[in-house]
Amino acid sequence: MRMENKLARALLVGAFSAFCASTAAQAETALSICYINHPVQVANVAILEKWAVKQGVKLNKTVTSYAVYLPKITQMLTSGANDQCDIIWNNDDWGQDLAQYLEPLEDVPNARKVEVGQLEPFHTADGKTTAVSMTTTAGILFYRTDLISEAELPKTWDDLVKISQTLQSEKKVKWGYVGGMSYTNTFFSFWWTLWNNSCDIYAPAYERDNKKLAANGWKPMIYSPCQVQTAEFWWDALNSKKISPPGMTTYSRDEANAIFQAGDAAFTVADTTFLGSFNNSERSSVAGKVGIAPFPVGPMSNGVHTWIDVWGWSIPKTLPNDRKTAAKKLLGAMLGDPDGQIEQWNQTGGPPPNTDVWRTLEKKDATWRRLHTILFKPDHVHAAYYFRNWATVHKVYSDTLIRAMKGKREDIAATLKAGSDAIHAGATVND
Amino acid sequence: MIALALHTLRHAIFAISIAAIFVVFVGPIAILGLTSIRPASGVFYIWRGTNFTFNNFVEVLHQSQVVEAMWNSFVLSTLATILSLGITVGSGYMLSRFGGWIQRSWFTTIYIFRTVPYISWVLPLYLVNTRLGIYDTYIGLLLPHIAVHVCFFSWLMKGFFDGINPSMEYAALIDGCTRWGAFYRVALPAAMPGIAALAILCWLSTWNEFLFALILSGKRTPLITSTMAQFVTETGTEWNLMSATAVLAMMPALLVTIFGQKYVIRGLRM
Amino acid sequence: MTARSTKFGFDERERFMLFLIAPAGIVLVCFEIIPIMIGMNASFREWSLVNPQRTWVGPKQYIAVFTDPVFLKMVLPNTFVLMILSVGVSLALGLALASLLNRPFFGRAIMRTIILLPLTIAPVITATMMRWSFNDQFGVITIFLSYLGLPDVAWLSDRWPSFALVIMTDIWIWTPWFTIIMLAAMQGLPPEPFEAARIDAATPWCIFRRVTLPMLRPVIIVCVLIRAIDAFRTFDQVWILTGGGPARSTEVFSVYAYVLAFVDLDIGRAAAAAGIGALIMLFVGVGLYRLVNRSMEVSR
Repeated sequence: MRMENKLARALLVGAFSAFCASTAAQAETALSICYINHPVQVANVAILEKWAVKQGVKLNKTVTSYAVYLPKITQMLTSGANDQCDIIWNNDDWGQDLAQYLEPLEDVPNARKVEVGQLEPFHTADGKTTAVSMTTTAGILFYRTDLISEAELPKTWDDLVKISQTLQSEKKVKWGYVGGMSYTNTFFSFWWTLWNNSCDIYAPAYERDNKKLAANGWKPMIYSPCQVQTAEFWWDALNSKKISPPGMTTYSRDEANAIFQAGDAAFTVADTTFLGSFNNSERSSVAGKVGIAPFPVGPMSNGVHTWIDVWGWSIPKTLPNDRKTAAKKLLGAMLGDPDGQIEQWNQTGGPPPNTDVWRTLEKKDATWRRLHTILFKPDHVHAAYYFRNWATVHKVYSDTLIRAMKGKREDIAATLKAGSDAIHAGATVND
Repeated sequence: MIALALHTLRHAIFAISIAAIFVVFVGPIAILGLTSIRPASGVFYIWRGTNFTFNNFVEVLHQSQVVEAMWNSFVLSTLATILSLGITVGSGYMLSRFGGWIQRSWFTTIYIFRTVPYISWVLPLYLVNTRLGIYDTYIGLLLPHIAVHVCFFSWLMKGFFDGINPSMEYAALIDGCTRWGAFYRVALPAAMPGIAALAILCWLSTWNEFLFALILSGKRTPLITSTMAQFVTETGTEWNLMSATAVLAMMPALLVTIFGQKYVIRGLRM
Repeated sequence: MTARSTKFGFDERERFMLFLIAPAGIVLVCFEIIPIMIGMNASFREWSLVNPQRTWVGPKQYIAVFTDPVFLKMVLPNTFVLMILSVGVSLALGLALASLLNRPFFGRAIMRTIILLPLTIAPVITATMMRWSFNDQFGVITIFLSYLGLPDVAWLSDRWPSFALVIMTDIWIWTPWFTIIMLAAMQGLPPEPFEAARIDAATPWCIFRRVTLPMLRPVIIVCVLIRAIDAFRTFDQVWILTGGGPARSTEVFSVYAYVLAFVDLDIGRAAAAAGIGALIMLFVGVGLYRLVNRSMEVSR
């Protein structure tokens, strides 16, 4: 009996002290910021920290694992809890799902200083943005400047294959192209080629307005000629022309970047933020020999398409007014701090959130000019669709394409067609 | 002559199997160790290049959260081990020595709830924790970690007690011992080697537990596994830092294993 | 009230039984049974994490899972193959290693620690490391195997090699678990039967089969059942090594439920999938119990 008593007492004391600790923490005027350990987010939080000190706010940083960030934040928002996070990282992929639980941020100074349409994924039903930008994420083609001169850069997929095969046969490099292909890395292989072949997941291509897509019946483009062509390009790259490693269907960014950084591939597509690490001699064996280039286009292309999306900060709706105001003031200060934003760009390659700062960089930074010309001058497309089951559709798409890669070349069209119903259903199931 | 040859052959087979076990069990650990002392540029191609560095460890230890998380995990694992074993040893004993409807329904309950996968259980657990106001506290991490072990440990303890002859306890009861005394003074010491082995397993599994740590720990209670998971970001894995943290996290686990081993053997002699 | 003539309606023996299970019972109810009940409630609802309207839909979610061809033709067979191979091989290896470590030899203490090494690393780390080590380009084990002259295998990108890798990783992680429990059980065995067998000049194999194994039966049955249940819900290794791919061909039950809950945020469907898994395991467990019991009976 004694043991049980002790146990119960220990539990009670533990619960009580934990309770005291949590109330003590709340008594301070402080803001909690929740994000993941990504270099750009860390850099942007550094700007916020700088301003928090000036504004007399204590900024508590909560780093969450990427694997559970979304479920945890969603759970927090839907349950109405307001003691965990005052500022949260928000991403266009789930911006629509979360908008109803987030505070409109139209009154934050410089909130609208972004590229046209970039905040639409974060809009509430009445068109108010629930996020302000922290940076813009995008993918870009990286190439080895010691192997390929700027004049020889591939303009088309055929060029890419030819240049790769030449370099491979001359034993200058083991593989021509390497990029992530497994689920959630679809951008770095299937999708950049898809968007550069006048193609998309739903017709009409590049459209992201749900009303227009619905009016067109959410028609999947997965067995259209432009998509089959894309799949055939990758099948050849992997299986017959062998410009990419055979195991690439399983690669995430990690494997692809490792191979590129080790000097075993001539081209890769990755997030722009890797410009810094590819050219950092501590991280990469090809430092100083990596350049950025526009995407090569497919046979049916009518011009280069890039994809760009804003990463943002948001504030939960359920916060008390004083913390809302303090959080907005802090975000406004970050958006109005050109020096901090330029520092973020220099350190991480993450574009400044405020487009006014872009003009400053345009004048004095050659790397920025190149990045801007490649990424923002051409037409761009959102990398995601904005309906509830988009993640499901993304996975179905990924599984279907990988199945096609592992099958026979003549079966590609049939394999793709088999995925069509699920992709259509994914968009319409909640209507 | 033949006997001697057979003897040598048996020794050779024994030596070869020991060597094979060594390679299989130490190999992956060696790969992890080697990874952790490679610079970021050589962390994947560990067999290429000869640069080695301890910078990964320096960088990891500079993050105050890592040290804090190690301490939190250590406390949590130790408390979870003591409490889990403390509450399940009685339950296992009951399952082994008694019969009737209470025993049967308790066993059925344990069996049924053991079959439910964690996935369906962690998100509601988060809800329960926030409802009780113990989310992101030690107690909120500790109790679910104990709950995880209730079914499995009760069951395994039953197995250990089943292997022990109950006649000694009956003798103790006849001699005027209470039921508690028969359990505490007679059965418990006999089950010690098993309990010690379970203690090691319990400590290690709590130390290495991932899903609960990810969902149930917050800013105030970082754990070592949830801290390691932060090296996986949307744009890739910081494998050099992650492997260095994993090696650091292995050290306490190794110590517990070594000391626990001694206890298993000592328990045997009791 | 009158029906409860004794205190609480239980006799002294029953009160002692309840006292023994009370602490475990309380923790179990609060942190396992209640959350699971919340989850089961969700399985009868249309419950998306982002839009918690929780409309009651009856058994619709269960029907959706049961009529999903991927679940029936891919996920369930994979799960059972993983379960049977992982548990069977780890048990055999665990028994062998425990018998090896149960007799004195030079360096036994070191060997005992070495065998426990896999348990000191988080399974997630092990799986991540295996993934890099078996990569077709830079994997150190792939390189080593081809150095030994073995044919190249696309370890991660084809169905069966990647599934074999998942199973091997699982066996590597769980063999020490069987070893330490079997070893503890062996050390708890009374010495008399062994001495009797030795006097009869029985061979070591004969002693193992006729004496050790039957005496270990209760522990083996429990271990096999518990591990089978756990292997049925193996997640980390599969998710990290293959993500269920290529094209869902190595997907197991837990990955199926995880994708529903954490990718689709469809709590209702995920809870239904989990419930179906629990039901299957409930029946498989009973069958397994009888099977293990009988096979041990035969070997006696």
